[in-house]
Amino acid sequence: MATTVAAPRHAVGPARYESGIWSWLATTDHKRIGQLYLYTALAWFLIGGFEAEIIRTQLYGPNGRLVSFETYNQLFTMHGTTMIFMVVMPLSAAFFNYLIPLQIGARDVAFPRLNAFSYWVFLAGSLFMNVSWLFRAAPDAGWFGYAPLTTPPYAPGPNIDFWLIGLQILGLSSLAAGFNFLTTIINLRAPGMNLMRMPIFTWMSFVTQFLLVLAFPIITVAVTFLMFDRFFGTNFYEVAAGADPLLWQHLFWLFGHPEVYILILPAFGLVSEVLPVFSRKPLFGYPVMVYSGILIAFLGFGVWAHHMFAVGMGPIADSIFSITTMLIGIPTGVKIFNWLGTMWGGSLRFTTAMKFGIALVGLFTIGGISGVMHSSPPSDLQQTDSYFIVAHFHYVLFGGSLMGLFAGLYFFYPKITGRLMDERLGSWHFWLTFIGMNLTFFPMHFLGLDGMPRRIASYDANQGWDMNNHIATIGAYILGAATLIFFYNWFRSMRRGPVAGNDPWGAATLEWTISSPPPVYNFATVPTVTSRYPLWDMKSAQPAAAPRPAQPAGRVPTAEELGIPMPTPTVKPFVAALGLTIAFTGLISHKNLPILFLGAATFVATLYSWLLTPLEPEH
Amino acid sequence: MTATVRVRRFVRFLRAPMLAFALAACGAPNAIWNAHSEFGHQVDDLTRFLIYLGAGVFVFVEGLLLVALVRFRAKEGVEPVQTHGNTTLEVTWTAIPAIILACIAVPTVKTIFKTQAKADPNALQVEVIGHQWWWEFRYPQYGVTTASELYLPVGRTVNFALKSADVLHSFWIPQLGGKRDLISNHTNYIWFTPDSASAWNGFCAEFCGASHSNMRFRVFTVTPAQFEAYLAHEKSGPAFGAPSAAPSPSDTAKAATAATTAQSGPTGTVSRENLPRWVVPATPTPANLTVANVPGDATRGATLFKTAPCIACHTIQGVSAGVIGPNLTHVGSRTTIAGSLYPNDMQHLMLWIKNAPAMKAGVIMPAMGKTSPQSAGYDDQQIADLAAYLSALK
Repeated sequence: MATTVAAPRHAVGPARYESGIWSWLATTDHKRIGQLYLYTALAWFLIGGFEAEIIRTQLYGPNGRLVSFETYNQLFTMHGTTMIFMVVMPLSAAFFNYLIPLQIGARDVAFPRLNAFSYWVFLAGSLFMNVSWLFRAAPDAGWFGYAPLTTPPYAPGPNIDFWLIGLQILGLSSLAAGFNFLTTIINLRAPGMNLMRMPIFTWMSFVTQFLLVLAFPIITVAVTFLMFDRFFGTNFYEVAAGADPLLWQHLFWLFGHPEVYILILPAFGLVSEVLPVFSRKPLFGYPVMVYSGILIAFLGFGVWAHHMFAVGMGPIADSIFSITTMLIGIPTGVKIFNWLGTMWGGSLRFTTAMKFGIALVGLFTIGGISGVMHSSPPSDLQQTDSYFIVAHFHYVLFGGSLMGLFAGLYFFYPKITGRLMDERLGSWHFWLTFIGMNLTFFPMHFLGLDGMPRRIASYDANQGWDMNNHIATIGAYILGAATLIFFYNWFRSMRRGPVAGNDPWGAATLEWTISSPPPVYNFATVPTVTSRYPLWDMKSAQPAAAPRPAQPAGRVPTAEELGIPMPTPTVKPFVAALGLTIAFTGLISHKNLPILFLGAATFVATLYSWLLTPLEPEH
Repeated sequence: MTATVRVRRFVRFLRAPMLAFALAACGAPNAIWNAHSEFGHQVDDLTRFLIYLGAGVFVFVEGLLLVALVRFRAKEGVEPVQTHGNTTLEVTWTAIPAIILACIAVPTVKTIFKTQAKADPNALQVEVIGHQWWWEFRYPQYGVTTASELYLPVGRTVNFALKSADVLHSFWIPQLGGKRDLISNHTNYIWFTPDSASAWNGFCAEFCGASHSNMRFRVFTVTPAQFEAYLAHEKSGPAFGAPSAAPSPSDTAKAATAATTAQSGPTGTVSRENLPRWVVPATPTPANLTVANVPGDATRGATLFKTAPCIACHTIQGVSAGVIGPNLTHVGSRTTIAGSLYPNDMQHLMLWIKNAPAMKAGVIMPAMGKTSPQSAGYDDQQIADLAAYLSALK
C-alpha cells in the first residue's frame, strides 16, 4: 500500500494558487474546504456562545434588564439559528469534507467545484443572516419561526426577511453538499471497500447526506411560501385571509426532526471512530451500529408531530406519534450499549478525544432519557415549551453533538495540522466543559418542572426559580472559560505542539496511512482495502497497535512529480456564490430589481462559464 | 467501625443534595409536582412513573459506563481481546428497551384518551382568547367578560375553548393543567377540575413576540358560593357612578370567604392583601419613568375618560365599547394590571397610563401622558384623576 507506483506523467496544471488569500478563494481541495468550514464554524461558535452568555446573564436573577426584551428575542433566535445552521452543521460538514475522501481512499470529492460552491454559499448565508445585527434587525421569531408571528402583520420589519433568506441560502449549501457527498461515497470508494467495510464515520455521514437531501427541500418549500407571503403578497400563512398556521408547523418539523439527526449522526460517527481506537478494540457490533443509524434516520421522518403535542391534534394522532417516537429510542439505546460494549474489556487510554467521546455516551444518555419522557404526550404537555425542553435538547446537542465534535476535533487535529494538541490544556478544556455543561443545563430540568416557560426574556421574583437560574448562569460562564482555553490550545498547538506523524493514536483507517497533513492528492497510490480496519490488519502481530513515534518527516512528493492530475483551482464557485448573494440582497432591499438582476446575471454567467471549463487541466 | 463511619458519611453526603431538592420543591409555587386538578394528577402519575423509570435507566447505564472506565483503564502489557460483537447481547439490549417502552406506551395511550375525552356536559364553559400580550376570559353561560384574572370554582369541571386574536399562544397553569396552544383560525379545548382553593400563576408558553414573557395571568380557585358572588358582581355594571348592583354577600358566601386562603371582598373578588407572594408581581418600573404623587379625583377622571382616546380600545360597561384592549368594567377589583405584570395600585396605574410602552415591550397602548414638557398628552394631575377613576371601578 505504501509503495508508490510511478504513474505516467501528465502535463501538469499551473502551479499557482498555493498560498495566500487567492489560494483559499480558488481552492477545490476538499481538505482546504474542510478547513474553511471548520474555521468559519468555530468563529460562529464564539459568536453563538457569546449570545448565550448574554442570555444567561439576563436570566441570572429575576427581572433581569441587561438587554431589552426585543434584543433578548433576537439573541435567543440567533443563538439557536447560529448553533444549528452555522456551528454544528458546518462543523459536521468540515469533517465530511476533510475525512470522507481520506477514509474511502479517494483523491477528492466527486464534484470539487460544487464543493467549493457549497462552502461559499454557506459563508454568504451565515453572513447574510448576521449582517442583520448591524441594522438592529436580527431575526426575532425563534429558530422555528412559527407563523403567523413571521407574517407581515406581526413582523413588519426586515428581521424575518434576513432570517428566511439566510435560511434559504444555507439550505442551498446543504443540498449541494449532500448530493456531492452521496455521489462521492457511492462512486469513489477505493477498490475492495464495500459498504460494510466503510469506516463508521463515513457510514453515519452517508446516512446524514440522505437526511439532508430529503429534509432540506421541505424547509425550502416552507420558507419559499413565507418568502412569497412577505414579498409578493400571497396568503399561505396569512391568518387574516384564513390560512392555517399549522401548515408551517407541519412543514417545519417534517424538516426539523430529521434535522435533529443531521446534527447528531455525524457526532455519533466521530465517537464511533474515537472509542475503538482508545479502547484498542474494534467497534462492538459494527453491523448493528450501521443498521441502527439507518433505522434512526428512517424513523426520523415519522415522528415530527411529537413537537406539536400541545397543538391539539386529537388522541389518535397523539398516540401514533407517541409510539413512533418511542420506537426511535430503541436503535438509539442500541448505539449506547454498543459503545459500552466497545469499551468493555478494552484497554482504555483517556486522551482528551477519548474523554469527550465518553462524555457523549454519558450525557447523550441523559438527553435520551428525557427524550423518552417527552414521547409520552400527557407528560410532554407539562414539559413542552418549558425549561425542561431546553435542558433536554442541550443534553442532546451540547452533550451529544458538540461533545462528539470536540472528540473529533482533538482526534483529527494532528491529521489536519500535523501536530498534536496539548493534552494538559485539553484536559482543562474537557473538565471545565463537562462541569460547566452540567451546571448550566441540569438545573434547567428543575426549572422546567418548576413551571418556568422557555423563551422568556425575564421572570418575576418569588417563583422559586432564582437558585437554579443562578447555577445555570455560573455554569455558562465556566463553559465560556472552557471554550477560550480550547481556542488558546488550538492556535498554540499549531506552532508548539509535538509533531504527530502519520498515525499518532494507533488508529485503524486509511486516513492514518498517509502523512499529516496529507498531500494535496491524498494517496499516491489508491489503496486496495481488504477489511474494516486496514491499518490494524497490516500490523497483525500487534492487533491494536500502540501509537507509533513520529516518523522523521521525509519530503512528500508533489502531485506534479507523481503525475497525478488535480482539479484546476478556480474562483468561479466563489463568484457564483457571490452572484447568488447579490441577487438575494436585491430581494431584501425593497425588491431592488437592478441589484437582483445583476446578482442573478452574475450567477448564471459564472455557472455557464464554470460548466464549460474542464475540471482538470487539459493535456 | 471505619466502614460504618464511611457509610454514614456517604449517607450524609447524599442527604445534602436530597435536601436541596426537597427545599426546591417546597419553594416552587409553579411546580408541576403539586397538581391540584384531576388532569394534573393523571399527568403527574405518568410523569413520576417516567422519571422513576428514567432514573433507573440512568443509574444502570451510567453505572455500567463508570465500571467500564475504572475496570478497563489501560494497563501495561495487557492486550484486549479483539471482539467484534455478540449477537445474544445485542439482541438482549434491543429487546429490553423495547419492553420498557411498551410499558410506557400502554399508560401513555390510556392517559391520552382519558384526558382528551369529551368534557362533562355540565362543565363550566370558559372562552380563553389570547392577545399580544394579555389574556381575555369569557364565561358565555353567564355573559361575563374579563381579563388577566381567571376565577374558577373548586370541584366543578371547567371546559376551556381556546382561541387566538392574533398569533399563537399557549395556555398553561402548571399546577392545574395545560399546555394547550391557542391557534389562529382554530378552537382548541382542554378541561380539568380544580380540587382546592388558592391562587395560581398562569403563563403563555408559546413564543408570541416582544412581550411573550409578560403575558401572564392569575387563576383564583374559589368556593362555588364565592364564585357565584363573583359572577353576579362581574355581570353588573361598573361600581362607580351607578348605584351598586352588586348583591349583598349572602351568609354562605361569607362563610366560604373565611375558608379561602386569599381573603375575598364582598364582591367575590380576591382582595390584594394576604395574597401568596408568588402572585404578587415584583416587576421593576423603568428608572427614568416617574409620575407626580398627586391625589386623583375619580369623578373628574370619569368625565375625562369619556372624552379620552381610552374609549376607542377599552370597554367599560355603559361607558365605552372598545374591544382592542382588556375590558375595564371591574378593573379596580383586579390584583394586577398590564397582563399581571404590575400590582394594581395608584402608582403603577398612573405610570402605566402615562407611558405604557416604556413599561411593557411592544405594547399597543400608546403613552397617554406628557413624556416631555413639549409633548402632547395628559399632565400628571389628569393621569391621577384617570387612575383614581379606574381604581374606583370595583
